Amino acid sequence: METKAKIKEVIVNLLRIKPEELKDGMSLQDSIGVDSTEMVEAVIALEKAFGVKLSAKEITKSLTLDEISSIVDSKIGK
Amino acid sequence: MNKIAITGLGIVSPSGIGKRQFWANVKSARSFVKKITRFDASRYPSHIAGQIDDLDKYSNFSERLLKKIDAFSHMALVASEMAMQDAGIDIKNEDPNLVGIFLGNAIGGWLYAETELRDLYIEGREGVSPYMASAWFPAAPQGQVSIYYGIKGFSKTVVADRASSLMALGYARSTLAKNKLNMIISGGMEAPVTPYALLCCNTYGALSRNNERPETAYRPFDRDRSGFVIGEGAGIVVMEPIERAKKRNANIMALISGYGTTCDGFDRINPSSDGRELARAINMALEDAQISADEIDYISLDGLGVSLWDDSEVRAIKTVFKDNAARIPASCPKSMFGNLLGASGAVDLIATVLSMENNLIPPILNLENPDPKGLNYVQGQAKDYKVGRALVISRGRGGINSALVVEKP
Repeated sequence: METKAKIKEVIVNLLRIKPEELKDGMSLQDSIGVDSTEMVEAVIALEKAFGVKLSAKEITKSLTLDEISSIVDSKIGK
Repeated sequence: MNKIAITGLGIVSPSGIGKRQFWANVKSARSFVKKITRFDASRYPSHIAGQIDDLDKYSNFSERLLKKIDAFSHMALVASEMAMQDAGIDIKNEDPNLVGIFLGNAIGGWLYAETELRDLYIEGREGVSPYMASAWFPAAPQGQVSIYYGIKGFSKTVVADRASSLMALGYARSTLAKNKLNMIISGGMEAPVTPYALLCCNTYGALSRNNERPETAYRPFDRDRSGFVIGEGAGIVVMEPIERAKKRNANIMALISGYGTTCDGFDRINPSSDGRELARAINMALEDAQISADEIDYISLDGLGVSLWDDSEVRAIKTVFKDNAARIPASCPKSMFGNLLGASGAVDLIATVLSMENNLIPPILNLENPDPKGLNYVQGQAKDYKVGRALVISRGRGGINSALVVEKP
């Protein structure tokens, strides 16, 4: 599965929201209003899903799915 | 001090969710104390409780929110929503800076905490949910309700064992009386039907072990009492200054007119046997309400169902009310659904307000042979009676005494 689609799936399952709520081009904060604790949870879930170590600091910035996807891709060497 | 109006009631209890269902069951004197079914509690000395099994049916809160919070916060959210609906309050139309929330809780959210502590020891720190930090502690429901409704006024959680919620109501009233807020959501919640919380309650040593006949186990003021039974739930009311309640044509159900609190300062578990400090708390509440003892029509008893507690409570009532103690109807409806610990005082207040509204006092369930004698206990079935002014008593471990006077508008 494409990295971005997999990230979306992880976050949708984690937060128990509908996929359409998570909008492309918008940050997770702006599109679904994630709070800081949800972001910590998302980082842990993404680390498990991709088997990489992510810095909470870089992920907790106001990032879009595309931007998070680029960070994950760089970690897994895509 | 000013009297403060109660304009909405929200109740989540083993005897029913919502005031209609709760009152229908309480007035019919039906017991909701049962063997614990949520987990295998059979090896606990006491494994009976008042439980809530159908909260989800009454809840509109998202899965996303519910996975972050403990059951006691969920109960508080449902009860707050009901209280505001009952009061005809649309929180979106309120100035959030002028809304407060005062809740009481005794032990925290252990269902969440236990699960995460298990994960900590099995999986290590990575296995613990980041929501653990905000889910378990006694002030969590206050925080969750505040966030959900955007409440930004002066808010507080009171932790004072079983007296927590009555104390929260007392403090809410004093805060509103300063005329700095428009309304306060106040009451309490408790969810002790979990393996660890039940264990702690059992080691307290005062729970009934009458596991074979749960419905008869909780029998305050009865010669054959065997201790109390825990229950879970939440009782929350909307409180407003009378002028504001009148201005918006709210249904003023009752007025909180007096409050008093004292400590026995005697022992870490037991109260003082003389009931002197409880009597002082009652007198403080009467004085605050500017009424004399003979103007009270009904007493809602704390009724722990433990000899020392029941005896000292009756002693305090006799000290304050003297000969009238034998005349004023007194009851303890929690004998039907369990002692909701930190939420018990608020639930007692709600039952008292419903008694006033319906001119009917529910009985003390299982009271067959009064001990100690000398009070006008309501036994057997509900009694038709006009209640104009009532006293609600709530007490906590080690002799925390709390008394509140409530009256018909």
